[in-house]
Amino acid sequence: MIGDIFHEIGSTVRNNKLRTALTGFAVSWGIFLLICLLGAGNGLMNAFMQGSDNFVQNSIQVWGGTTSIPANGYKEGRRIRLDQGDVDITLGREFADHVDMVAPVTSGLSTTLINGDKTVEGYVRGVTPELASIEKVNLKSGRFINPLDVEQTRKVVVISSKQEEELGGNMLGKWVTISGFSFKVIGVYHSDESNYQSDNYMPYSTAKGIFFPDSRVGTLSFTFHGIDNLQQSNDFEQEYSSRLKAHHSASPDDPNAIWIWNRFSQNIQMNSAMGILNIALWILGILTLVSGIVGVSNIMLISVKERTHEFGIRKAIGAKPGNILSLIITESICITAVFGYIGMVLGMVACEVMDKTIGQRAVDIGFTQIHMLENPTVGVGVAIEATILLIIAGTIAGLAPARKASKVRPIEALRAE
Amino acid sequence: MALIELENINKTYNNGQPLHVLKGIDLQIEKGEFVSIMGASGSGKSTLLNILGILDNYDTGTYHLDGKLIKDLSEKQAAQYRNQMIGFIFQSFNLIGFKTAVENVELPLYYQGVSRKERHTRAMEYLEKMGLTQWATHFPNEMSGGQRQRVAIARALITSPSIILADEPTGALDSKTSVEVMQLLKELNKNDGMTIIVVTHESGVANEADKIIHIKDGIIGNIEENRQHTAWSGPMVK
Repeated sequence: MIGDIFHEIGSTVRNNKLRTALTGFAVSWGIFLLICLLGAGNGLMNAFMQGSDNFVQNSIQVWGGTTSIPANGYKEGRRIRLDQGDVDITLGREFADHVDMVAPVTSGLSTTLINGDKTVEGYVRGVTPELASIEKVNLKSGRFINPLDVEQTRKVVVISSKQEEELGGNMLGKWVTISGFSFKVIGVYHSDESNYQSDNYMPYSTAKGIFFPDSRVGTLSFTFHGIDNLQQSNDFEQEYSSRLKAHHSASPDDPNAIWIWNRFSQNIQMNSAMGILNIALWILGILTLVSGIVGVSNIMLISVKERTHEFGIRKAIGAKPGNILSLIITESICITAVFGYIGMVLGMVACEVMDKTIGQRAVDIGFTQIHMLENPTVGVGVAIEATILLIIAGTIAGLAPARKASKVRPIEALRAE
Repeated sequence: MALIELENINKTYNNGQPLHVLKGIDLQIEKGEFVSIMGASGSGKSTLLNILGILDNYDTGTYHLDGKLIKDLSEKQAAQYRNQMIGFIFQSFNLIGFKTAVENVELPLYYQGVSRKERHTRAMEYLEKMGLTQWATHFPNEMSGGQRQRVAIARALITSPSIILADEPTGALDSKTSVEVMQLLKELNKNDGMTIIVVTHESGVANEADKIIHIKDGIIGNIEENRQHTAWSGPMVK
């Protein structure tokens, strides 16, 4: 029976080629734009997400700021530097329910790495092994700083692949000179364009001993658990920063004394922003598609009017209202689906073209480069969603004309000649 | 019980001014009869045919077709009865233009849910009966009026209906073809025992039937037995 319906539709379409093509174009165009919009949106989101992929989501980074409110007898404008006390607080009983791993980092010294006559810019970061689990350090060869390095204050360093290249290539196991001291290269990490590429990781204790003899800690990173939503995350952040501010005799209300980068909260916010962007794109696409649907509906109404006589004949020889109804709706769905698919395929081709052109173009945003669009394509999921959308659209477009057709009274129709 | 039993059928159209078209029709038609209904235009003969064909409703009275009461049917039920019990032949053939002859003949079976292959076989059988085998894949506009009407007759016959209702079947045909078509209907009646009702305003056409029912101003005038076909002596079609 399905075959018969298609056969029926085939003959009507053949009889109205131009009209069908014009209507179909509106639907194709709608779906084409929808796919392009979603593809570009995906590309934008992927580009954003790529940056945040470098960090563990449930982690917080803390560093000192400058007070903006006088407190405890100190004037405003005092520079706050994190110290061992902050590390102890973070590791202490107070936050033991949530805090997992703590990684203090001493940093803030630009330097030069020297290998014979080759030199390259570097940036010293004294770290503990835990850091590798918080900031994803993507090793190309060798290893990261381990507990023994820290314990024995070894002079070892992890450099970036870009630095390795500029220092002459294959530096693993070789020695480089940093500020007059020789360091053994124990690891090389992949430097991609979207990340810092001049960081040099060395044991925390070594860096402290050589470059930062005072008690200061540059930044503090830690991971946490047991926090499920934005509210809890913000509460925890609030409580934690108050505690640190108290430690540094700063006002608990001072927004500038301690800086906290809560990746968990940020991630939630980013996800919801992307959700909104995605919904906005769908709405735009669907609105475009609506004009196509109206077109199909209009064409079907005209077609039904023209075929009144035919429906009269069909009814006279035994077609039930349901037969006529399903004939028109199926016809509408077929027109919408066929042309929708053409639009979808073209849209996907356009996405691929976008990927090969704008997608490859990197934009310099100062300290790093990002791709404007990262993989701006739509997946199978979207294709399935769009198919369902097309079927619904076709049904809606065919509904009114089909009802009109099914209500044709055979005697009226047979007279209509 | 007769195949068709009409009892005091009344029908009024309410288009602005009420128009009482059928004023109490009583009629019985037996199985195997070949009857013509004659009347001038406006006499109510077309309305009567529409009621007989379950294309239209009536206001009061009863209509039994093959023992079934045809009254206040749902559209779906009416469609089913039309499909199974009635074969229509129209003045203007009413074939579907974008379907070939054989597809047109198949259509009633399509609405019965018969498989494509069987439909085709049976449609070809009936086209052969009508001598149209080589015209099966032609479209209506490639055929002559007589051929089109024979396709329409094949379509009317394919469901083996209880009655054939023909509304001015020769109205759009020339005299020679008209004679052929009427001959065909007579043969169907004689050889296959098909009950046939022809509505016409032409005496010559009406004369081909065994019984002529005269209808005037919404009531049945007289019923003329016409076994010898002597009711009219002129040419069949003017």
